[in-house]
Amino acid sequence: MLMVLGLVALNALLAQASFKIDDLQQRVDELSQAYDQRSYDAARLASPERIWQAAHDIGLVPPAGGIQVLHVPGVGKGKGTAHGAVGGSP
Amino acid sequence: MRKPPVRRLIALFAFLTFGLTGIVLRLAVLQVRDASAYAELAERQRVREIDLAARRGSILDRDRQPLAMSLDSRDVYADPTLVTDLPGTASILAQTLHLKERDVEDALRHPSSPSFVYIDRQVDLGVAERIEKMGLPGVESLPSSRRVYPNGPLASQVLGFVNVDGEGGDGLELQYEKALAGRPGQRILERDPNGHIIPQGVSHDHPPVPGSSVVTTIDKELQYRAQTALRDAVRGNRAKGGSLIVMDPRNGDVLAMATYPWFDPNHYSDYPQEAYRSLPITAVYEPGSVNKVITAAGAIEENVIPLTKTLDVPDTWQVSDHLFHDAHEHPPTQMTLADIISQSSNIGTIRIASMLGPDRLYDYLTKFGLGRKTGIGYPGEVDGILRPRNEWYGTDMGTIPVGQGVAATPLQMATVYATIANGGVWVRPRLVQGIVDPDGSYHAAEPSMRRRVISRRTDETLTRILAYAVEAGTGTLAQVPGYWVAGKTGTALIPDPQGGYYAGRYVASFIGFLPASRPRLVIAAILDQPVTEYGGIASAPLFQQVARYAIARLRIPSAPKPPTPPHAIPYEP
Repeated sequence: MLMVLGLVALNALLAQASFKIDDLQQRVDELSQAYDQRSYDAARLASPERIWQAAHDIGLVPPAGGIQVLHVPGVGKGKGTAHGAVGGSP
Repeated sequence: MRKPPVRRLIALFAFLTFGLTGIVLRLAVLQVRDASAYAELAERQRVREIDLAARRGSILDRDRQPLAMSLDSRDVYADPTLVTDLPGTASILAQTLHLKERDVEDALRHPSSPSFVYIDRQVDLGVAERIEKMGLPGVESLPSSRRVYPNGPLASQVLGFVNVDGEGGDGLELQYEKALAGRPGQRILERDPNGHIIPQGVSHDHPPVPGSSVVTTIDKELQYRAQTALRDAVRGNRAKGGSLIVMDPRNGDVLAMATYPWFDPNHYSDYPQEAYRSLPITAVYEPGSVNKVITAAGAIEENVIPLTKTLDVPDTWQVSDHLFHDAHEHPPTQMTLADIISQSSNIGTIRIASMLGPDRLYDYLTKFGLGRKTGIGYPGEVDGILRPRNEWYGTDMGTIPVGQGVAATPLQMATVYATIANGGVWVRPRLVQGIVDPDGSYHAAEPSMRRRVISRRTDETLTRILAYAVEAGTGTLAQVPGYWVAGKTGTALIPDPQGGYYAGRYVASFIGFLPASRPRLVIAAILDQPVTEYGGIASAPLFQQVARYAIARLRIPSAPKPPTPPHAIPYEP
């Protein structure tokens, strides 16, 4: 008799665990979907078009004058050589 | 007392024996002979096999920012035989899915198979959930995934698109289909009639293998600026379209590649198929004067003409039975090679080509990669058109040296200039720098194939000439303040399929690199039929605009000016 009761109890526990697995699996799926959606939203917010538009909306504009990148020895990666501002324009 | 009827008892006994034997035999059949078949049947009722779709890998830019990614979605379908109120169901579905009611009703009345018809595919999860909660008889949904492009039309022709069946339809999505798609899996479960998993029942899991992610060479920010600059140039010059390529000549990495008009891969079916094509790779054009560098490269390498020597260049020249002209009338002029290239003289170039000879000219055209695919691997890449040397006509020595009668893709021409920018070494262009497996391990692509085309000495001379063309020649509008640019303009006639060329229709181009003496960037700017006609007017400013942004974006330092080449036409800096 005890054995029968034990088996019934064991089966009940297993059934309960099965429901819990179902619920947890569903929760994992939901969280995974939410994560993907957030990643997509973040990527859309980081799109250059949106950022340029946002910058434009607050009045920012690209620099109008010439752009000169200087590499100074000992600064940054240390690979560059100094090129002072090139006199005049080609 | 009557004796029991022996015969009736015997008959009853025989009947019962026969009946019991039948039952025992039937039991034996069911429990022994057919036991496994029935067990299998019962198991099939309880056991469900669920296909698990593999997650498609992402496509990333060179900084691992997503250009294409996948989201879970649902495919909504119906079993019309179970739909009780067809017009009502059609109305609700149409309203919820933003479809036309008539289309949904048509689908339900004329399903593709009697008990199955898709109503809408790749539906947002929230919308699908709302439909499921409505409990419409005969309407169900299946798991699927939706490809999304968070930057909209950015690099759309490079990326391609994914069709409703989840397969790559064009571009990198098609080229890397196998790596991106992954492998679908399967889940086998034993469930009770309510759909719950039966403990200790059958349970096997074959998880899907997600697709790998593809890391491209594209720089998202630079691509955006290149696209917008191209769009503005097409509109500003009232051109029919345009192509733009930005390359790193040192390793062949394509940093930006654009075609205008473009399309939004999120809604690819709303656009004509022509918009899907990446014209820099899949379309050819007659390059015109930008091809003169190949003639010049051959002439310098073969010592056909010393750099200081001048030629008498009239404005017309007879080749075979055809009289060729320079773009503008001019009196016979003494020109050096630098003058000929910087002023883009057709007659001067034709004269140099005749000194080089057709065999050597053909040899240099093929060495620079004309007439065969670059091998970038992109779907639909074409060879271009360079007729074999033995099929050349007499007049070809008047057209091919100046880039007519030969056709190349914009990518092939960009690669010609990348070769000059790279010290005379041709490097195969590439769009993909590596693959990231689902476990995060990175596999870098093989370094691009390279081969020497011209000597370093020839290359330095050619660079001086191209820098002079921007300083004092037809390419002055490509100048970038603070930097020395080397490049060449092209204004090419467009061939008429009926023969000859269209009058007044041109492809305007400018291809160049910078800084001239230490190149980090090659930019090819090509406009189709701008009203401004000339490459130096229509395309050189586009080059300049993209170059200025790229300098800031890639932090390119300036470099010293290349020495001015000998020239006979006076020029005061």
